[in-house]
Amino acid sequence: MKYNFLRKSLMLFALLVVGAQAALAQFTATGRVTDASGQGIAGATIAVVGGGGAATDVDGNYRVKVDGATATLVVSYVGYKSVTVQVSSSAATADVTLEEDFAGLDEVIVSGLATNVKRSNLANAVSSISSNDLVGTTVQSSMDAALYGKLTGVNIISNSGAPGGGTTVKLRGITTLNGSSQPLYIVDGVYYDNSAFTSNTNFISKAAGQGSTLVQDNPSNRVADLDPEDIERIEVLKGASAAAMYGSRAGAGVVIITTKRGRRDGTSQVNFSQSIGFQQQLKKLGVREWDEAKVEAGFGASEVPVFQAAKNAGKLYNYEDELYGNKGLLSTTRLSLNGGSDKVGYFAGFTRKTEEGIIKNTGYEKTSARLNLDLKPYSWADLQIGMNYVTSNADRGFFNNDNTSTTMGISFVSTPSWANLFPDDNGNYPNNPYAPSNFLQTRDLITNSEKVDRILGGGIGNFQIWNNERNSLKLIVRGGLDQYTLETQSIFPRDLQFQKDGNGTNGASINSVATSRGTNIAAFFVHTLNVGDNNTTFRTQAGVTQENLDQNYTNTVATQLIGSQTNVDQAGSIQSAQTKLIQRDKGFFAQEEFNYQEKLIATVGIRGDKSSRNGDPNKLYYYPKASLALNIHKFTDLGTTLSQLKLRGAFGQSGNFGPFGATYTPLNPIIIDGSTGSLIGTTAGNEDIGPERQTEIEVGADLGLFKDRLTIEATYYIKKIDDLILQVNRPSSSGFTAGWQNAADLENKGVEIALDATPVASKRFQWNTRLSMWFNRAKITRLDVPAFNVGAFGATLGTYRIDTLASPTQLVGIGPSDQTGDKSDQFFVYGDAEPDFQLSFNNGLSFGNFEFNALLHWKAGGENVNLSTLLSDIFGTSPDYDDTTTDPSGSLSNGAYRLSQLGVSAQAWVEDASYVRLREVGLRYNLPSSMFNDRAKIRIGVSARNPLNFFKYNSYDPEVSNFGTNAISSNVEVTPFPSAKSYFVTLSATF
Amino acid sequence: MNLKHISKIVFPMLLVIGFSACEIEKIEDPNNPSVGAITGNASLSEIQNLVDGTEAAMRINLGFYYDGVGAIGREIYRFSTSDPRFTSDLLGKGSAVLDNNTFYTTNPYAARYRAIKNANLLLEAVDNTKALTSDEQRNAARGFANTIKAYQLLLVWVQQYDNGIRVDVADPNNLGPFVGQGNQQEGLRAIGTLLDQGNTQLNSGGSEFPFGLSSGFNGFDTPSSFGKFNRALQARVQAYLESWDDVLTALNGSFFDLTGGNNTGVYHPFSTAGGDELNPQWFPLGATGESRVVQPSWVTDAEAGDTRLSKATLRTDTEFQDGLQSDYDLTVYASNSSSIPIIRNEELILLYAEAKIQKNDLVAGADALNTIRNSAGLPDYSGANTKDALIDEMLKQRRYSLFGEGHRWVDMRRYNRLGTLPIDRPGDDVWVKYPRPANED
Repeated sequence: MKYNFLRKSLMLFALLVVGAQAALAQFTATGRVTDASGQGIAGATIAVVGGGGAATDVDGNYRVKVDGATATLVVSYVGYKSVTVQVSSSAATADVTLEEDFAGLDEVIVSGLATNVKRSNLANAVSSISSNDLVGTTVQSSMDAALYGKLTGVNIISNSGAPGGGTTVKLRGITTLNGSSQPLYIVDGVYYDNSAFTSNTNFISKAAGQGSTLVQDNPSNRVADLDPEDIERIEVLKGASAAAMYGSRAGAGVVIITTKRGRRDGTSQVNFSQSIGFQQQLKKLGVREWDEAKVEAGFGASEVPVFQAAKNAGKLYNYEDELYGNKGLLSTTRLSLNGGSDKVGYFAGFTRKTEEGIIKNTGYEKTSARLNLDLKPYSWADLQIGMNYVTSNADRGFFNNDNTSTTMGISFVSTPSWANLFPDDNGNYPNNPYAPSNFLQTRDLITNSEKVDRILGGGIGNFQIWNNERNSLKLIVRGGLDQYTLETQSIFPRDLQFQKDGNGTNGASINSVATSRGTNIAAFFVHTLNVGDNNTTFRTQAGVTQENLDQNYTNTVATQLIGSQTNVDQAGSIQSAQTKLIQRDKGFFAQEEFNYQEKLIATVGIRGDKSSRNGDPNKLYYYPKASLALNIHKFTDLGTTLSQLKLRGAFGQSGNFGPFGATYTPLNPIIIDGSTGSLIGTTAGNEDIGPERQTEIEVGADLGLFKDRLTIEATYYIKKIDDLILQVNRPSSSGFTAGWQNAADLENKGVEIALDATPVASKRFQWNTRLSMWFNRAKITRLDVPAFNVGAFGATLGTYRIDTLASPTQLVGIGPSDQTGDKSDQFFVYGDAEPDFQLSFNNGLSFGNFEFNALLHWKAGGENVNLSTLLSDIFGTSPDYDDTTTDPSGSLSNGAYRLSQLGVSAQAWVEDASYVRLREVGLRYNLPSSMFNDRAKIRIGVSARNPLNFFKYNSYDPEVSNFGTNAISSNVEVTPFPSAKSYFVTLSATF
Repeated sequence: MNLKHISKIVFPMLLVIGFSACEIEKIEDPNNPSVGAITGNASLSEIQNLVDGTEAAMRINLGFYYDGVGAIGREIYRFSTSDPRFTSDLLGKGSAVLDNNTFYTTNPYAARYRAIKNANLLLEAVDNTKALTSDEQRNAARGFANTIKAYQLLLVWVQQYDNGIRVDVADPNNLGPFVGQGNQQEGLRAIGTLLDQGNTQLNSGGSEFPFGLSSGFNGFDTPSSFGKFNRALQARVQAYLESWDDVLTALNGSFFDLTGGNNTGVYHPFSTAGGDELNPQWFPLGATGESRVVQPSWVTDAEAGDTRLSKATLRTDTEFQDGLQSDYDLTVYASNSSSIPIIRNEELILLYAEAKIQKNDLVAGADALNTIRNSAGLPDYSGANTKDALIDEMLKQRRYSLFGEGHRWVDMRRYNRLGTLPIDRPGDDVWVKYPRPANED
């Protein structure tokens, strides 16, 4: 590090700045910003080139102080094309008319770690959504769930319907074969941790261990802590060609979130809204209709009198309604305040959300408070500060796979309708004679909660070191802290059927505490050089970054509880476990952008990263990028119809770390004769392990027709991931049976097409429509180890299989030897979790004071392994047990046919998981502001989330993942918490 | 606006940039002790941990080892409803053969080499630690580690035989060759050499170990007494090599005692304490489905009055599985916390008898056999006084004295008598050796 050189340079810059500042005079520019109809635009931004700015008031008027004798103002407003005007002390008034930007070409999109670029100049298909897209139609439970169907190239799967979230987001296919394939989240420059910590209810369910060693505790992932109401916009960098600047953490893509900031026009605004609604089970499956013959066939002759007695007493129960029939009350209260002057801007947001689940005693509560401050202490310095505190509690029930028949889901499918599980008058629950647990008792007595307290703080400083007509040099400094504590508490009282009388451990209190602390800091210089007068610029940025992450997870299981005590002290037996994660990353980034009159925009850049997660912590791994955008319509006139034609191409690389600990060879504790010894682990660490490396090439064309009233964006990408990390077999004479190795390559290819149109845009009536379609195809292109099954419950029931030249998400299984079809060794290929394609269709209409919006989402193809069906068949409770729609010969009932396939073929459980959903629909009415003397804007609305669902999939919801966010293992269903649909009424007022 | 303001901003910037340019410190595993730290400069307690870990590792998958060699040597049947391979593959039912990638082959093999790896870490730690202050302490520790390694290699050799065994496995990325491939004696010789090396180290190891040993080594927990254990193992190895003078020499240095208790020796301890292991060869009496029963000929071939028949206990119900049956449970071990012997005096007396008989000192040989017979409640040997007859008698006494301890198969193999073992079902096979595990190729 050459401190001397740097210090001298900075001092020189400092002197220049001082020198430049001293000589300046000031004047105030004024004017009015209007739309084409002459109506004033409130809240438009007036930016003074070289520093300074203001916003328009309610009528569209602005006043802005300007240093010097002349200045250039850039006037912009969301949804309108920006306009540049010149002002001087002698001609200080400039009125501006903004033209609507149908195609969003002026939208500003991140292009580097410290710079933005207009969408019209972008070389990547960066998906972005605004606050209005996110929460404008209906109330959203969490940020990630709000993205469904709104982004091309993105595959989002809700892991279950449990309150509090849990979502798998895959950007342009899977990018790793290990752990989770979740994107990196950045909130206002702060790295936002998205870990999922398990509650260890596995201690009760024993789900991991037999059949699959993966955790199936259904934890939520922590991006659920973000309040979608605070978000101004989200940009999604789906692959390395756009995300290379995030280097070794960007393997699964990057989601960049920008929160709302204060208006700096001297006014202030208060917004209050209240939503009330309810949710109910998304799809009811019904229950099997029993008669004596069926009872005898399924349960034996001795059960028939029991059934008859219950039937005659009118005690046949619909347990689906009992368990899943709760109409959960939903409430969201939102208060926000924003305002400011040219020196200070503030935004404060407060949200209180309560959601009751579709199962009694489950639900979610979240309180979020955010304060964003913008300070401009000097004309050359801009500071942005953001603070967010969130506290939430989710009661998530007890679902998914188990090997003890204790989860409510498994117990539910094991229980026929003539069982009586209801408590007597004294509140004593009977034992369930058909299963080891009484799910009504379990529902009423257990606690399984996740409680989070999270603080997010970040600051960005922009310092104009030097600025003149040709040159500008900025220093941008950014830092952030993301810290949270997650406490999970799972209490299984000793009165439970599966805890008492020797059936369990006489109660269990399972407590875990996870603390996570991430910090990141970065500093960049951005230099812009204007060449000539014709808008040709070179923009250079270079800087350094540092990110730290410390996580500590402890879990305590206390059993043999005393009475109804839950304190872990009040127990006869305690066991605990602890896992820590420590990560230190450092890197640099440099990029050069060349913009030739907005006709040709070329960018090259490189990121260098080193990390403690690699075998050699000080080895620099380089991730280059390059891109080119050609605005053909600016070179030549394409006629009146074709208003825009852009050709673009981008290349980039990014990385992904191996699992934490893969570089270490651990010594495990082992006990002999009362002493604890250290014994070498069976998996050898690999000191040479490097990150998985992704190379993406993306090409596309953007077309604008009829003054951009119709735009088409088409993109094709090839994304290759080399050096995928796998656990491979080792010769066991080495002392190890397995080791970590970079041992496979994978390729994703896909197409994304988006059509945006504004067919009608009159003053009274406007119609916006967006149709997008995307698909991804993946295959393993190199595998240094033999093909292997992974991520489900084995070939008998359908499993993922990693095999050369096959899709990494193919679902295979056993089949009869005379069967024909695609094979991988002795297994048949029955499906693929990857959808054939997805299509989303969004329509927004506004007519007078009414606004209507509807989002339709079609996921075509893609299979699930549905083991809920298997389990309910085994226990004879499948609602469709007696139908005859599955047996090709038509002779067996569905249940009997599927059971006859157990051990013969896995095909019966690999099911098409296509769906068409009305994701969101909303109607709003803006009360005429004259009713309130123009002092307030009041709107009322009704809306719904997932109100209409069409799918053939034989369960509650084709969107499901028993294994949480694991890259390979989603789309497996074992008696999950069923999904819900929800309806709302919203009243909002702006003053 | 002045320079002071700027420097306030610039200075933190410089800090940031300077900071970022620094090296990243290597982060040691926060969840487990790291191999690097423990082999770099281990503390005394870390050395103790490695010793305990090595001892504990010797017990891992011991159950599969004894079940395998016991079944192939036709001493026992291991019945298991959840895994038919105990009665098909191990006994060569029909066309079934021993598989090179199935638990009975791979698990014991991997476990023995895991213990060897741990002993190698101990050797590395001993070389580098500053906590051991004298050469005596270091030699004592090395003698311990090499003796344990040799014993683990011997168990590998029993199953791998002339597949050869990897002796040099210190560097996991650069494993040594298979020694004795095609010539099983070379593998044994390598084990003998390692035992001698350990013995030399123990001899210059002072009066005590710089660490404690488990109760399995009671009476053998100083370098000199542990050396007697080392010599006892050497006596077994030399017997396998048919080097009869060396057997007697080794016995001289061992705890061999013609008049001592049969059970004096070194053991694997087991206990019901939390986290500890249970004796893997113990099943409750009368267990069905998952059971370990005695091959019937062991009972029927016995002389009347042999007290060693207590190792087979008559069941109330005959146990059947896969075309096999037995009325006797294996009861070598009284409880699930009984210790399993590594080597004990009864075997040493039998090795002494074998060496003497082989050297044609038939009187001394017969005397030693009578010591064993008498201890089992039997009268003196009354058969022919020829070398061949005494060898038959010696093998018979070994069959009953060392029943269930993994010797019968090896004995029959070294005397070329595998063909005499009982075949229970037509088409069953007696295997000479296990296949080399799949992941070794």
